[in-house]
Amino acid sequence: MRHGFRISVGAHPGGVGEVNAAFADFAEAHALPAEVRRSVNVALDELLANVLAHAKTGRDPCSVTVEVELDEERVTVTLTDDGPPFDPFEQEAPDTTLSVEERPIGGLGLHLVGQLMDQVSYQRREGHNVVVLVKQLVNG
Amino acid sequence: MQISTRTSNDIHIVAIAGSLDSTTSPEAQKSLSGVLPGAKKVVLDFSQLDYISSAGLRVLLGAAKHLRASGGTLGMFGLNQSVREVFEISGFSSILSVYQSEAEAVGAM
Repeated sequence: MRHGFRISVGAHPGGVGEVNAAFADFAEAHALPAEVRRSVNVALDELLANVLAHAKTGRDPCSVTVEVELDEERVTVTLTDDGPPFDPFEQEAPDTTLSVEERPIGGLGLHLVGQLMDQVSYQRREGHNVVVLVKQLVNG
Repeated sequence: MQISTRTSNDIHIVAIAGSLDSTTSPEAQKSLSGVLPGAKKVVLDFSQLDYISSAGLRVLLGAAKHLRASGGTLGMFGLNQSVREVFEISGFSSILSVYQSEAEAVGAM
């Protein structure tokens, strides 16, 4: 049995919260494990905040569509935005061994997404950035 | 997100409930900015924290740097498995002081 939903938001600060709230409601309705729901919430926050940051520097208004699909084994999240080309998984991994004093503030978000999800992918398709995230419902 | 602060002896205990993410971190930053200037010992109660993203980590790092520079100490307790995982991935579990319980955190201040 497949379930899912789709939500589109403009690239404005409230948009991230709208998507995270919609996903939390969906997760509750379908009794997703809390760990899975939290990992997806973090990934959504990172990616949407990132799109928003890039949209601010762009000239054109930007919107993001988030599509969530759930089956017995996994939850799949597809984010499509019409912002400038940006592959979130091509960025350099931060140095996570630095001390408090040495550590720059920032640079961690996209690294977190790659680690928290079981699969991530990026495609530039017809003028859109398409990011697909997969999280298995059961480990292993 | 809800934030509540209380003081026990000279230790400021700040409880953050809900999510600490790009939407809520500006408010968390503001609340901590109100506590940090006069504080030497700060304990963060995460027992009601649902999840944390990098925006939340930035707030914690800022607080840790501030306290480190002013000779203060920062501790935290009550991390759920998701928050713990984010701490592990980001390396924060080795640069911040994480305790099992409030008593342990307060005792270490």
